[in-house]
Amino acid sequence: MKTGQFGIDDTPVFVIDQSRCIGCEACVQACAECGTHRGQSLIHLERVDRAASTQTAPMVCMHCEDPTCAQVCPADAIKQTEEGIVQSALKPRCIGCSNCVLACPFGVPKYVAEFDQMMKCDMCTDRTAEGLTPMCASVCPSEALWYGTIEQFRDTRRGTLFRDFLFGRQQVRTKVYTVIDDALAGPLDVLADGRRSWLDDPFGLEETVPR
Amino acid sequence: MNRLDRRGLTWGAVGVAVVIALTFIGSDQLVWFDAALVGYLFGVVFAVFGVAYRYAVWLRRPPTAMLNRRGWDAFRQRKARNAAALPSLVATQLLAQGFIRRRSRARWIAHQLVFWGCILAGLVTIPLTLGLLHFESVGQQADHYQVYVSRVGTLKFDAESIVGWFMFHALDVAAVLVLGGVFIFLRRRLRDPGALAVERSGDFLALAGLFAVSVSGLFLTVSSMWLEGRFYSALNTLHALTVILGLMYLPFGKLFHIFQRPGNLGVAYYKQANADGPAAVCRRCGDTFASAQQISDLKDVLPQVGFDYSIDGGGNYQDTCPRCRRAQVTLAQSARVGGFG
Amino acid sequence: MARPPLTDDELIARYGPHLNEAPPGGWNAGIEVDRVVKTHCCFCGQQCGIKLKVHDNAVVGFEPWYEFPFNEGKLCPKGVKRYLQGSHPDRLLHPMERDPAAPGGFRQTSWDHALERVVAEIRRIQAEHGDDAFAMLSGVSLTNEKSYLVGKFARLALHTANLDYNGRFCMVSAGTGNKKALGIDRAPNPWSDIPLADVVWVAGANVAETFPITTSYIWRARDRGAKLIVQDPRVVPLARTADLFLPVRPGTDSALFGAVLHVLIERGWLDHEFIDAHTVGFDEAAAAVADMTPAWAADITGVPAARIEEAAEWWGTAATGMMLHARGIEQHTKGVDNVLAAINLGLATGKFGKPGCGVSTITGQGNGQGGREHGHKCDQLPGNRDISNPDHRAAVAAVWGCDEADIPGKGMPAEEIIEAIHDGRIKGLLSICFNPLVSAPDANFTREALDKLEFYTVIDFFLSESAQHADVVLPGSLHEEDEGTSTSGEGRIIKINAAVTPPGEARRDWEILVDIARRLGKGDLFSYANTEQIFDELCRASHGGTADYTGATWQRIEDEMGLFWPIPEPGHPGTPRLHEGGRFAHPDGKARFHPVPFKPSAEVVDDDYPLLLTTGRVVSQYLSGTQTRRIAALVAQYPRPLCEMHPRLADTIGVVDGDLVTVTSRRGSMTLPAHVVTTIRPDTVFIPYHWPGAQAANQLTNRAVDPLAKMPEFKVTAVRVERAGGRGATTDTRDLGLHEASS
Repeated sequence: MKTGQFGIDDTPVFVIDQSRCIGCEACVQACAECGTHRGQSLIHLERVDRAASTQTAPMVCMHCEDPTCAQVCPADAIKQTEEGIVQSALKPRCIGCSNCVLACPFGVPKYVAEFDQMMKCDMCTDRTAEGLTPMCASVCPSEALWYGTIEQFRDTRRGTLFRDFLFGRQQVRTKVYTVIDDALAGPLDVLADGRRSWLDDPFGLEETVPR
Repeated sequence: MNRLDRRGLTWGAVGVAVVIALTFIGSDQLVWFDAALVGYLFGVVFAVFGVAYRYAVWLRRPPTAMLNRRGWDAFRQRKARNAAALPSLVATQLLAQGFIRRRSRARWIAHQLVFWGCILAGLVTIPLTLGLLHFESVGQQADHYQVYVSRVGTLKFDAESIVGWFMFHALDVAAVLVLGGVFIFLRRRLRDPGALAVERSGDFLALAGLFAVSVSGLFLTVSSMWLEGRFYSALNTLHALTVILGLMYLPFGKLFHIFQRPGNLGVAYYKQANADGPAAVCRRCGDTFASAQQISDLKDVLPQVGFDYSIDGGGNYQDTCPRCRRAQVTLAQSARVGGFG
Repeated sequence: MARPPLTDDELIARYGPHLNEAPPGGWNAGIEVDRVVKTHCCFCGQQCGIKLKVHDNAVVGFEPWYEFPFNEGKLCPKGVKRYLQGSHPDRLLHPMERDPAAPGGFRQTSWDHALERVVAEIRRIQAEHGDDAFAMLSGVSLTNEKSYLVGKFARLALHTANLDYNGRFCMVSAGTGNKKALGIDRAPNPWSDIPLADVVWVAGANVAETFPITTSYIWRARDRGAKLIVQDPRVVPLARTADLFLPVRPGTDSALFGAVLHVLIERGWLDHEFIDAHTVGFDEAAAAVADMTPAWAADITGVPAARIEEAAEWWGTAATGMMLHARGIEQHTKGVDNVLAAINLGLATGKFGKPGCGVSTITGQGNGQGGREHGHKCDQLPGNRDISNPDHRAAVAAVWGCDEADIPGKGMPAEEIIEAIHDGRIKGLLSICFNPLVSAPDANFTREALDKLEFYTVIDFFLSESAQHADVVLPGSLHEEDEGTSTSGEGRIIKINAAVTPPGEARRDWEILVDIARRLGKGDLFSYANTEQIFDELCRASHGGTADYTGATWQRIEDEMGLFWPIPEPGHPGTPRLHEGGRFAHPDGKARFHPVPFKPSAEVVDDDYPLLLTTGRVVSQYLSGTQTRRIAALVAQYPRPLCEMHPRLADTIGVVDGDLVTVTSRRGSMTLPAHVVTTIRPDTVFIPYHWPGAQAANQLTNRAVDPLAKMPEFKVTAVRVERAGGRGATTDTRDLGLHEASS
């Protein structure tokens, strides 16, 4: 996975396909086993609305090209590596104000009250530096979290890799990719309404969605 | 050089002027200024300029400026209560550093050793360098000394006493403390693959600097006590060099956090004031999720740093709670990859 | 009388479950690793490869094992945290005897004393009441070697017919159905066939929670364009993304399958060539579904007729297709019928013995496949042989070096053993790796039965709820404390490697059994120097049986990352896909259709018990929870049972999410929080079964069993649900750190 046989860009990329998440929490459990923040899980996983659906929302740091979190940090504690990884707050600098927690459009950084610090996913720098897959993408049973080359993705998965998001008027490009079917329809508008499907009436009680 | 910040230059210049004035007045018009320490003085002046310059620049970043303003606002809002809370905040946040202890006991011990070692060293070195402090022998007794602050005589002590020993070896004590901390830090870094992975080159540089200053300082003592002063002048030069370089590194490297850390107090007041104020309500789920003040401040700061999270047709995405942000990303994505969800 | 020596609370205070929060030394200890051991997860039949990190004879962490082909590093949360079962404060370290006067209710004793007492009690009970009055219950979290040894130990050392295993509550309907229809009890396909299917039909399997890794195989098929059909009373996580959802009413799967066969026949979506060449009995099976129209089935199953027809069309017209089924269709009094009806669909459309084709059970327990092959079952001898067949008996007797007549005959299946204990026919019990008090139906009855035992001894690593009843507790070994093999759900024999040695005075399970055998005077039949010798004997004993391991060696299994049986001779490459070329394992090489008329479940709803209860698992817990209820991070995911119900039902009984409800069946009742969700049929409630005592779903379930497989009906219980007053917690409050952003 590291060296290019034919000189193609084979740097692995991180892909999150939220739609495939089964909510098992393997990622949450594995994240806490990561060497740089043992015992502290930094990935997010929510039930979107358990009363209505089993859908779950996993979220890793998307590593924005121009990270909002870093720009709103009063302590200048959030740095980006040359590879575009937006790192967890520098421990000596972070003053625990939570600006990043509140401003991140993806809702990623966590404020850890015990340490008075922000902590966030850094795509397992300790593992990727050694050519290993990040913990969450290693274990994810449904491959909702995936790590590999763009080539490998195209060979084995349907959908298009995509990394432009729209939050109101703000467009954000990220290092981490998501997957969509209709890349030509423009950035992923986070505020767009979801479609209706059979899931609105799985047991045929309302008969609004004939099947 | 047109990129230099004018306000930073001003602050730096003021800082340098203050140091020079202090030296001149404190050393009784240079009577007590020790010319041998002029290199150290240069280091101090450089450090003061650099720190003041960087501090000024830092404070002008929009989020920092906002927090600085809000911190003082919050302080003034309930001055009596906040002033009363200050000593305990300083003690817990800045001195005892409990937030580090909760992260790791070993890291905390190391940090405390380095911290108190540096404080002790600074308290001795800087007044000596500026000529604010000197010793004079008392009368005819060769081993009795008195500490003078500027022209004013203070504590008298016997060089053979415990106080005396400490007076002459304060810097050795500081060096031992710092070295202890440096060793614990290094051990952690070398043994813990996790710590190693997030290692930044600046981290090692700071540790190496502290190590060099402490060891070269200790060697001076070794030379004078056990080697009859052999190598003393070479060691003295070496030590001076490490200290001066260390002082010059102060504004640039990892150690600048020493001057940023007090911002933590501002955050504490800001959070307290925010907790007393109204809460922000999520535009999607209707739950409260943070302080309305902080969200409003962020909405002021974001355009200044180049972001526009306002929504066509009214509203602002920043009024969404983090949980709903994550849910909405998932819902939007699922709708565009097969429509399930 | 084998009653617990103290109250539940007192026993829990001493023996747990306590929660292991962190690895030895705590999270901040830094990871020093002496070595990394390649082995497998102990939780579930997928048997994922995993590497365990070891320091100072303790497992301190895990690392994904990317090279192991089945899971390529993937793990579910149980797999990630499995290592925390080691170095656990509840670990049993010494042999113990019940002593109500002792602190904790048990007195530490020596191995010698404990085993002499066990042997004396076995001898006394067998002398007074006959050999079969002493029974053994075992489990398939044990390796193949231990499972094989248990079979031999019970027959030759205990000399009892009454040995059975906890797979009786798990895979046995599938095994029975597979043998009847296909002549062999193994998943017909390696999992690598799933991505080759054009239709994947998941019937009664909550794959995302109980076999999470299988999800990735299903997605690989879908990435190729395959359609996904999910048949379940709940919109389980996988169903959310399904192309077609069949919300079947519990207990009506065979009606649904019958209607699909009806449509296949009516529309001509059949593979006549395959049916003629490779099967018998099609006409009888077809006759049985003649009246099973989609409209008729819609009425019974609650699945709209149009969806049934669509499922039939997808299945009938696809070139390739895999059906995966699990406990959802198997844990019924007609579990075997359901499996046979599913297999009929595969046979009718020729979906066997080809890439991407098969009807396969997903084995549930860790070694559910291997453990049910080598003489662990009441009617079975090694190699999946029949204990009533004289030829089979003779073949095994030759390997065992005993007289064929020394091998007892067919014994009672697990639930009958519990009933026989209850009515006094069985007086003594040795159990290993089985916690019937939580996992058997009708828990109150099971408790009464255990209380009545004259002598009960347990080999276990934690004091499970059943073990609390024991007279003598023998500390055995955890998965990572012994080596051996297991056979995964796809029929792949894999190597389990020891990472650490048993702590304290605990011993490897097989050493305990061999020691008892020796003390019973049968040492010469059990002279093993190590575990590998047991495996070699197992392979010899399996030779010529259907589950034939002849060509397997530990070395080959490790070198080749697992071997698929049958491996009938040394050097044989193994058999990943069964039935290739349409050759089935019956003597004539043909598969059997079976007519499956629809039968109601043992309990149907009535005015007193108007709702259906179905039970199952959650992703963070494994079976009776003896291990997983002791791992803090897993408990936090789903800390206590909840009663899932539809808001329409909640409205009629006047409760909202979090209100306590009392669920009552003909056998018992329990009170727990309602979890009000639109993802379950309004006529059905669901309760996971992993907890003991007042939290045990099995207080409610029915002891009625399948006539052939003897599988209890865990999936259908008639209940009523009432508002109990009071509130409980259902909301997950763990990831709310963001709401504390400014505190």
